Amino acid sequence: MTSKRAHEGEILIDSRFTPGIPEDVLRITGLPPEAGRGLYEAPTYTCSHCQRVVMMNPGRTRERGYCTGCDHYLCDQCGTVRAALGGVCRTFKQIIDEVQEAGARGLPASPLLILGPDNRPLNITPT
Amino acid sequence: MAKRSLSTTNITPTATADAAALVDNTYLGAILGASATQKTNILEVQMGGIAAASSPSIMLLARDSTVAGTLVIGSTFDAALDAATAALAAPAVVGNSATVDPQRSATLHLLNLTFNAFGGIVRWVAAPGEEISIVGLAASLGEVSLSAFTGGTPGAMGSHIIYETL
Repeated sequence: MTSKRAHEGEILIDSRFTPGIPEDVLRITGLPPEAGRGLYEAPTYTCSHCQRVVMMNPGRTRERGYCTGCDHYLCDQCGTVRAALGGVCRTFKQIIDEVQEAGARGLPASPLLILGPDNRPLNITPT
Repeated sequence: MAKRSLSTTNITPTATADAAALVDNTYLGAILGASATQKTNILEVQMGGIAAASSPSIMLLARDSTVAGTLVIGSTFDAALDAATAALAAPAVVGNSATVDPQRSATLHLLNLTFNAFGGIVRWVAAPGEEISIVGLAASLGEVSLSAFTGGTPGAMGSHIIYETL
């Protein structure tokens, strides 16, 4: 049985020899205030439904999105979508399989054919 | 399967909004699949600042909603990590210059690597099995790019992206 920690990557932001990251930029990017000063290291996880990388803020008190279907943490957006759809699990690995299957069959590799984690076609309109 | 490094030595990125064409030779690279079934994993991204003054830089690794047309190496460098690597028949296409410039997706940002390019360093490493992947060669899953977002004042930096085509 593996630990959730086995899925953790790492991000390092070294601002020790710089003026750091200004607060307005931190706000734009959503980084925690301590990420802009000194040496900041934090674990990350990759959302298994969309592959966004999420920096795990040690100060977070809200519950993280989690999927029992794939036993992975989710990003906030995919966690919300999963809850709204009643617990549907659609991993990015499934999406990759479908793209490869379409490619192998010579079908157009159009993302219009590919459903996203919310079961809607990916990128019907340019984003 | 061979790990490769797409690197740059000294580029001052142009801050570019989402869904706008990235400017040739002023982003840190794009990786585009070579076939409809090809998959590439991104294992690590690192940037080191070499700017001469404070330069908070909002750097994003993101999927592209418009993939590059005729992507060429430009001012990037691409090399295999293993000295014994044999060339793939159809390697992933990499570089930072194209006849049709890629456009970063407004919704599919994957990794936020904000740092100060006045001597700062930022590095992300994926856990095994948790890599970011690219599949096929069409938008928006077939290409990712590393570029500067609007809001900061990007300064000169070098970088590398370690990737592996499967």
